[in-house]
This record gives sequence, structure tokens and C-alpha cells, in this order.
Amino acid sequence: MKVACKLAFVAAIFLLAAGCATSGPKFTEISSTMDALPSDTGRIYIYRSAVVGMAIQPEVRLNGEVVGRAVPMGFFYLDEKPGNYELETTTEVTRKLSLTLEQGQKRYVRLNISLGFLVGHVYPELVDDDVAQREIKDCRYLGR
Amino acid sequence: MKALKHLLTAISLLALLNSCAFDVINVKQVPTQLEVVQPPRNSFSLQREVRLSLPAGYSRLLKKGTKWDFIGTTSYGDVYRTNDQILTVEASNIHEAYIVVSSGMLVGFYLPVERSFSPIEPQGLPMKEIIDN
Repeated sequence: MKVACKLAFVAAIFLLAAGCATSGPKFTEISSTMDALPSDTGRIYIYRSAVVGMAIQPEVRLNGEVVGRAVPMGFFYLDEKPGNYELETTTEVTRKLSLTLEQGQKRYVRLNISLGFLVGHVYPELVDDDVAQREIKDCRYLGR
Repeated sequence: MKALKHLLTAISLLALLNSCAFDVINVKQVPTQLEVVQPPRNSFSLQREVRLSLPAGYSRLLKKGTKWDFIGTTSYGDVYRTNDQILTVEASNIHEAYIVVSSGMLVGFYLPVERSFSPIEPQGLPMKEIIDN
């Protein structure tokens, strides 16, 4: 009976985890078919490569406007005019990243998670292209 | 009654901790104006890596061999940026940053979005000037 209970518990955990799993095609599966970058814009890729804190999925804002959600193992991208931008996420605190974007430029922002008091904190970080291109490979496209 | 008191104490404590535990620590910065000057200064590359300690306790590494291009000058020094690595300064929030160099010393950062200067303890830079032909 005890073993059956344990098995049921493990199965329930798996089902729960499966329910939370990110859907959508992997970056590597769609990178060749992604929209070409419009000539007067730059592109910001936003991704979260860690599964820690799966339940914490705050909105991501660009210059105050909601542009997506911080979904574990997920990514999305934004084509924006050249200029100055501020990306932010809010859980029990707001964390911000300020960055510039130039015409034709591609920037990569990783959404990290750190310990919080009641809820983990999600904070955006600008990442070197070569590091980001390795990390984003297995992330799944969340759409726009 | 006792249980209610305990509950109220716990809630008050949580509220207190929650309000003070995550005070925002700001990157120290002062507004500054970036001026484009002609002719521009030469670019340089770093002959070895340089580790920088940021005032808020974070550190940053300027990689060996990175090329730094002059983009303008401020009253604090000349501003250089690189396409070879990401450079940011960090406290509670993160800001993209360029380096500010004065008399061969790195004296701080120029934050292009905030248009401000963020000082650090001056540090020597192993610069190798790149002469354009």
C-alpha cells in the first residue's frame, strides 16, 4: 500500500511537471524560418533557459508595455526601431535592464531567477551573443 | 485570542520584512553630456584581461584582446565601446555601459540609456593603441 502511495505521488509530480512544460518549436527548429529582420529595426531575443522556479512566470515589459512572459525554457523576439529600451519584470520586486538597440543589431536578454523572500525574483540580463546562442538552442518559441 | 495575536504578529513581521528586505540599490550615477569630437581618438585593444569591482559588490571582466572604439567625450573622460563583449553595470538593476578613460585610467562608465556617468575607483588599462592607416 505504501509503495502504491509513493508511485501515485511520483506519477502526480510527473503529470504536474508535464502540464507546466513549455510547448512550441525549439529555437533550432525554427531559426532558419524566422521572419527576416526588417531593415529599419533591430531584434531583441528574450529567453529563459532555467527551469528553476517553474511556477514563477511574470510578465515581461518593454518600455512599460507587456511584450511577453518569462516562461521557463521559452523564448520570443521583438523587432524594434533603433533606440533606448528598458526591459522589466516584476514579482515581489521589479528588476530592470536598460539597453540600446541599433539598426540590424541582434541582442540577447536572458531572464534569470534568484531567491526572493516570498517569491523568486526574475531579472533580465544582457548576454554575449556566443553564450546566448548556445543557451537559447533548446528553448521553445512562445509566439508573439 | 492568543492564536489571533500570534497570527497578527506573524503578518506584521512578514509585512515589515517584505517592505525592507529588497530595497533597491541604485548604481551611483550623475547626468553627463556626451560630445562627439573631431578628429576621433584612436581605438585601442586590451593586452590582458581586466577585472573590475563595481561599487555594489558585483565584478566585471574586460576580456583580453577586445577592441574599444572612441565614441565621444564627457567632462569625466573619453568614452569607448566595444562590439566584442557585453558590458553592463549592476546593482538592483542592470544598465548597459561603455567605459570612460582619462589619462590612461578607467575612471567609470558611461550609461548610454540614462546618459549618465557612473564612477569607480580609477584603474589602469593595458591599452594598445590601434593606428588607422
